Amino acid sequence: MALLEVKNLKVYYFTRKGTAKAVDGVNFSIDKNETLGLIGESGCGKTTTALSLMRFVTPPGRIVKGKIVFDGRDIISMSNEEIRLLRGKEISIVFQAAQNALNPVMTIEKQISEGILEHESITEDEALERAKNQLNLVGIGDERSKSYPHELSGGMKQRVMIAMATVCNPKLLILDEPVTGLDVIVQRQILSLINDLRAKLHLTIVIIAHDLSVIAETCDKIAVMYAGKIVEQASAVSLYKNPMHPYSQALIKAYPSIKGEKKKLKSIPGAPPRLVNPPPGCKFHPRCSYAADICRKKEPIIREKEGHLVACHLN
Amino acid sequence: MKEKNNNEVLRVENLKKYFPVGKSLFASIFSGKEEYVRAVDDVSFSVKEGEILGFVGESGCGKTTMGRTILRLVEPTSGKIYYKGTEVISLSKKRLKSLRRRMQMIFQDPYGSLNPRRTVAETLRQTIKIHKLVNSKAEEETLIKKTLEEVELKPVGEFWDKYPGFLSGGQLQRVSAGRVLILQPKFIVADEPVSMLDVSVRVGVLDLLLRMRNKFGISFIYITHDLATARYVCDRIAIMYLGKIVEIAQTEDIINKPLHPYTQALISAVPVPDPTVKIHDLPIKGYLSLTSDLVSSSCRFYPRCPYATKKCHEEEPPLVQGERDHYVACINYRKSKSVY
Repeated sequence: MALLEVKNLKVYYFTRKGTAKAVDGVNFSIDKNETLGLIGESGCGKTTTALSLMRFVTPPGRIVKGKIVFDGRDIISMSNEEIRLLRGKEISIVFQAAQNALNPVMTIEKQISEGILEHESITEDEALERAKNQLNLVGIGDERSKSYPHELSGGMKQRVMIAMATVCNPKLLILDEPVTGLDVIVQRQILSLINDLRAKLHLTIVIIAHDLSVIAETCDKIAVMYAGKIVEQASAVSLYKNPMHPYSQALIKAYPSIKGEKKKLKSIPGAPPRLVNPPPGCKFHPRCSYAADICRKKEPIIREKEGHLVACHLN
Repeated sequence: MKEKNNNEVLRVENLKKYFPVGKSLFASIFSGKEEYVRAVDDVSFSVKEGEILGFVGESGCGKTTMGRTILRLVEPTSGKIYYKGTEVISLSKKRLKSLRRRMQMIFQDPYGSLNPRRTVAETLRQTIKIHKLVNSKAEEETLIKKTLEEVELKPVGEFWDKYPGFLSGGQLQRVSAGRVLILQPKFIVADEPVSMLDVSVRVGVLDLLLRMRNKFGISFIYITHDLATARYVCDRIAIMYLGKIVEIAQTEDIINKPLHPYTQALISAVPVPDPTVKIHDLPIKGYLSLTSDLVSSSCRFYPRCPYATKKCHEEEPPLVQGERDHYVACINYRKSKSVY
């Protein structure tokens, strides 16, 4: 059974310049223990989608339509108190560049224990003990538990953030650009940690990234987003082997690799559309090398083809 | 690397940049020894005409400081820098300015390195004015138009009066490239020019750098932490670790036949965009330490190296030629080669 189901989700930002349709009719579901990767360029709506899952969207943004069913309950219609109990306990998120969000004047064990005390009725000492164990779990020895954030490197701070997000054994963990801005070696360590924790804690994970390789190394299923919509969704292996949407194909072709022969790469011309006034028809058509007449007039509907869900007239 | 080469654009010899570490008043009075972070420590190399040399390493390895020192944006502690035979470090401010036209820099953050209150055309006009590139208004307009076309901001009219806030990261980086290109430089330091850009537009900017090299014969130092993009643009790659070059060779040799254990670790850490490839555990441990109290007489990679022996702790390995055009600073590189 699906742990999370998102149905026709629409999140709009009502700005002075007009309505930006950041998320415009997104559908996906995640089974227990599955890892889903949301990939796309900046401004494609992937972070807004993730924020909506925990109802973190704030004005001028608003969830205007759709359903988010988590473990049988609809998140959108929950009361504020219900959603507060859910956050950090059942669904956790590690925000992008969250390393900088640690409290600089509080030890890391204390910061982790705060989260536990919020959700469970145990003593402060017990919470600190749990925090230490959690630090061990993410590969920071408990001898560092009394450290302050400035004493830690970027990679270690990210470990602390992951420790904090998983300390209450959440069912769903959301990671927004978990390795962006970290060095390659630290990146690799964090990706291994994510795979480890997933097995140990039976986590269901949503990873948001603009980097194909990060998603490739961690996810079972991938959803490619463009201008507020999912344009293709498939299993990770199938999406890489046989990308159907021209945008997915272009993304893969634009990615440099150090494995195998050196390949000529091809960038995607132009820039992503403005969400306030997107082009008519398929939103990708101005940058698509296959664009035909119908693409300029009619918006394609996402449908199934050979195990992929794809939104393209030409497929 | 001693051979003299006539088409050499840049030559760096024993370049050092030490930053003093701030100490408490007590410590500075009672302990006589000054402490330093050795950001760049005895680095020597040369760049040929039309060559793109990559510097790859983790944050804090000194690659950015090195790039800035070469252009004298940061004054070096010691060492020599030659631009086409002219010694750069001893030049007066005035002579340096005329040289700056030939040696330029593209910065990492295109959002921060362009003035938000100047349109694209005004930004280029500013550069023209500072270096007095033209004599008339009409020439100025022609030059700006030509430059924008060169960096593929076409149709030019669409970008002319745009403020940076209305452009994407990739487009901004093209403006930065245009601002540099308008001076007809011979040598450019590009410091992580694509690391803040979306993957989809990175290749476009990298292709622009390659075209600037092919068309105008500009030499580059390309600084990055990302081996994959370095492979795409560089002719040679130097791997830096804690202020030193630990390996330098032709790009494909570095990627396919790395000799230094650190290079090997870096390569195995690069994520691969293919879900069928299995992730291997990293061969090295720990983090890059940034302490100033490094033992100067040991290999800097020693604490993290899987092959470290007592000897590595006792002597600092020099950069020696391993194979043709392939230099490595590791005492037991033959051993590590057989392991991999």
